[in-house]
This record gives sequence, C-alpha cells and structure tokens, in this order.
Amino acid sequence: MYRQRGEDVFVVDAHVHHWDASEENIKHDGGEQFIRCFYDYHTGFTPEDRQWTLDEYRTYSADRMVEDLFGNGAVDMAIFQPTHLHEFYEEGFNTVDDNAELVDRYPERFIVNGRFDPRDGEAGKQELERQKEEYDVDGVKLYTAEWKGDSKGWRLDDPETFEFLEKCSELGIENVHPHKGPTIRPLNRDAFDVADVDDAATSFPELNFVVEHVGLPRLDDFCWIAAQEPNVYGGLAVAAPMVQNRPRKFGEIMGELLYWLGEDRLLFGSDYALWNPDWLVELVMEAELTPEQRDEYGVELSTEVMKKVMGENAARLYDIDIEEKKKELQSDEISEQFGLGDHYAADAAAD
Amino acid sequence: MAGKRLRSDPPTSAVTPRRSAILNALDGVTDPELDRSIVDLDYVTDIDLDDEGGSVAADGDRRGKSVTVRLSLPTAWCSPAFAWLMMSDARAAVESLPGVARTRVVLEDHVHETELTDGINDDRPFAEAFDDADGDLDAVRRELDEKARIVRQHRALDALLDAGATPEQLVSLSAADVTFDPLGPESERAIVSVADGAIRLCVPHDSLVDYVEKAESVGVDFESGPLFRTPEGDPISVDQFDLVRRRGRLASVNMRGQGGVCAQLHESRKRQRAREAEGAD
Repeated sequence: MYRQRGEDVFVVDAHVHHWDASEENIKHDGGEQFIRCFYDYHTGFTPEDRQWTLDEYRTYSADRMVEDLFGNGAVDMAIFQPTHLHEFYEEGFNTVDDNAELVDRYPERFIVNGRFDPRDGEAGKQELERQKEEYDVDGVKLYTAEWKGDSKGWRLDDPETFEFLEKCSELGIENVHPHKGPTIRPLNRDAFDVADVDDAATSFPELNFVVEHVGLPRLDDFCWIAAQEPNVYGGLAVAAPMVQNRPRKFGEIMGELLYWLGEDRLLFGSDYALWNPDWLVELVMEAELTPEQRDEYGVELSTEVMKKVMGENAARLYDIDIEEKKKELQSDEISEQFGLGDHYAADAAAD
Repeated sequence: MAGKRLRSDPPTSAVTPRRSAILNALDGVTDPELDRSIVDLDYVTDIDLDDEGGSVAADGDRRGKSVTVRLSLPTAWCSPAFAWLMMSDARAAVESLPGVARTRVVLEDHVHETELTDGINDDRPFAEAFDDADGDLDAVRRELDEKARIVRQHRALDALLDAGATPEQLVSLSAADVTFDPLGPESERAIVSVADGAIRLCVPHDSLVDYVEKAESVGVDFESGPLFRTPEGDPISVDQFDLVRRRGRLASVNMRGQGGVCAQLHESRKRQRAREAEGAD
C-alpha cells in the first residue's frame, strides 16, 4: 500500500498487461510496429534510469511482472485488460487465457477481464459465455481498432456490438472498457470519435463504461459526453505517465477530469508494461496542481481525492471490499514472498 | 476584414526556389489535430531540389525545379487520414511557389507509407489510394478545423478578457467592431470597439487574426452574426458564456496534451533512429 501523510492508500492498478511481442510470436509487420510504438511511449514517458531495453520489453516473465507490481508494495491489486491482436501475433499479444494463468496463481491479487469482438458473431458470444463461466469475468476490454480479415476496426454503436453488450448485461459483466486512446492506427472513421460510447452508454445504463486513456486525443469529446452520462468513467492509463515529464499538462488534464467527471469516476492504471507502477504510483500520488490550476479548476489532488482515484473507485466497480481485502492480503503468497504482511496489519494506519 | 497576416513574403522575381522559401511555404501547413506548423513540429526531414528539364513551372518557367519533401510523423501509426491531409497540403503549398515544376511528398516510417505516398503523388483521391478509407476526408478536416477554431476562440477571448472586456460585451461583438493594424502593418495590434463604440480596447492582434482565419475557413459567417460562437456555431448567450469558455479551455487542454504526447513520441523515435544509425556505422 502506498502511504501518504500517515494515510494508507489502497492501490488498484486497473490497467495491466502480460504480453508477448517476442520476435517468434510476431506474425505480421504490424506486430513489430505495434510493439515499437509501445516502446516509444515507454521511453518517452519513463525516467531514463528506469527504462527497459527493447528486448526486455518484448516479453517478460510472470515473476518479473509480479515483482514490478507488488514487490515494492506500490500496487495492491491489478486488473488485466486483454488485447488479443491475433492478426499480428501467432499466439496473440495479451490474451484472456494467458492472463488468467496469473489469476490462478495469485487469485487475491489479480482480476482478469474478458473481451469480445462483435465480428466473431455467435462463436464470439459463446466465447464470452466461456470467459464468464471459467474466469467469472466482471468486465471486458474492447479494442475497437483490432484488425480482423479485411476489417480494420469496429464501433461500439454497431448493431452487432449492441448484441454483445446485451449479452454482457445478461451475464452480469458490468464493466466495459473501450480503448479510446491514442489509437494504434486510428482508422479515419474513428480517429477522434467517442460518440459511439455515448450511444452505448445511453442504451445500456446498467453497464459502466470505463473509457481507457480518457479519450486522449479526444479528451474534450470524452469529458463532454461523460458530463452527461453518469455511467461513463475515465481510465487514466497514458494520461498518468505525463506526470513524469509533462507535470503541468498532467495537472491540466486532472483538473479537467475532476471538473467534468468528478472524483468518483476516475480509475488509475499504469498500462504495465508500457509503464511501471513502481515509479508511476509515487509520482502520481505526489503530483500537485499549480496555484493557477487550483484557482482555475477549483479542485485539489488531496489524499482523499487520490484514494478514490487510485483504488476506491475501481474497488466499487469490481466489488472489492478494501478492508476485507487487506486482511486477506496480510498472508497471501505475495505478502510472504516480499515481506509485505505488516503493510496490511490492522494497526498500520493507526498513527 | 483587412490586414491579414502573411506568414512570409512570397518571392517575387526569383525563378529558382530557395530551400528557405520552400520551408516557409511548408510552415503554413499544419498538423490538423494539433493546429501547429509541420515545420515547428519537425515533421519535415528533408527537402530535395532537382532540375526537371521540359516541365513547366507554376510561373511558366520551362525549366522548373522538381522538389521532393520528406515527412516523418511521431509514430508509424499516426492516422492515415491526418497524414494524407498534411501531405496534400504540403504538396499544394510547395507547388504554388514560382520556379517549382513538380512536387513529390514522401511519407517515411509509416505503416502505410507506400499507399499514401503513391496516392498523393499520383493525384488519386484518398478513398481510392487507401484501402481502408471508409470515412469522408472532408468531414475529418472539417471536424479538426472546428476544434482548432474553438481553441483559437478560447485564446482570443482570453486576450480580450485580459484587456478588460466583459462577457456581455464579448458575446455581442461583431467582426465590424475589430480593426486590425490601425497603426500600420507593423503594429500587430487590433482595436476592438465594445459597448456600442463607447470603449475601444487595444490588444495584441495575434490571437484574433488566428481565430478569424480559422473561423472563416470553417464557414462562420461574420456578415450576419456575432464574432464569437458556441462550439456548435451558434451565437453565445450571456448565461452560456462561462460554459463556452470552459469548453474552449477543455479543447485547448486536449490539444496541448495530445501535442505533448506526440512531441515525446517523436523525440523517442528520433533518438532510437539515431542509435540505430550509429549501430550501423
């Protein structure tokens, strides 16, 4: 747990991946360009002394991931957001089943989300049922820019997608995470469009739509929609690491998000391994708005606000009882391995 | 509206275009998403001039130059539609120069560099050159221009509020109330007449010129309506003023935020390429 001014901050990293972009797994040029683009994001927004080499970055062991996330106590729980990309990678890039192996090993720490692709039709619906049955998924990550055959993408307001959202609703998969960020090859039709989220959110008020990457580069459209749709949330992956070398811009973005969405609808995510929470959590927690930004937006990045953003909001969406969870984590395998037991002891926060 | 700022003086007598003139022409081309010059953004990697015997340049010179402009964007995955807009604008800007017979624009290090480069230089429409084009390119440009207008309007409103104008005055301002460069072209000031001419404000003209230029390009009709509009293009009522400003601020933060991401990616990419080039030596 992160500790700030004597208070414990329970951190749920709501956006992590365990990917394989090793050269053996790359099937299409797009796969190589994809990981290189990720790597540019990584080196662009990671302190120099914490950068990985491209080879390390292509793939990494589960042990490394566990150590990076939990080893230093920065993250308490993490949610996998799968990205299949079977057109690019032989065995997929970051699949539900691969992610689920880690959930099997560390059930107290990881949550796995499912995914669907409306272009898969009936088989896709059965697959979604399987994901619910086998892994009890409470959420899905949607990657609308994924290639499939001749198609280079899809939209949330396609009629086929609505059938899948209905299916989610039936199965009790409540959290929908569309990737609406600096899209990997944005198609011209959806290059800056979050309007499809609007339609879907209005049509499925019982679902929560966590727009990943807060819509950047369409933050303005996203905030405008979110201000009107109470079931739209913002995932901070990609916005968060700006704190490292663009702190003023990070402050402005947080100011806007807190102004338009409020403190109850933002979820921290590192996007691991794009960025590593072992440095990111601290930088985000210690970030401050400038006096001008505080005046302009009338908000503060107080501990109370940040506790919600860093964990409580995700805990609410994923039915995590933080106090219960802390008891559980006191003696789980990871606390044993890294000596974190005291972290979660009942009296830890008493000073 | 008079006194529009020119980005550069066009060469008058020279028939051989200079590299600096080409760069100046390219400076007027913007990244449509960031509303910033592709030269400032360092997207232009190379300009190459060759003699082209037998061609006829825009100014009638029979031996015009053939110009090749190379562009590289922050990532291999930059939107093909945005790339296309920049490439076609770059080509048009350079071809309008005297002494230029032919212009090729080459996109480098992009997933779709071949389709886009061939398409632009063969004068094919985007939808035909790019397999996956399924949107309307003009609509893409319009939407980005609209965003740029909102951001520029935000800056212009800020400048006027700083100069002491009130929201009531600003929402009823018309284009006729603005006089650019009243003290001569070098003054870079504008006089804005508010409160039915009772008050005249003298402000730096940059933000106003930029706003007017973009607003005109998206078809805001200054003859028949107020100078400033809601994002939807309607007149602003006084009680909407704060909300319009907040939406303008949000659009600016988005544009600057995205600009920051692009700049960082661009730098990382250049560093990586430099390392690779070193390794190859």
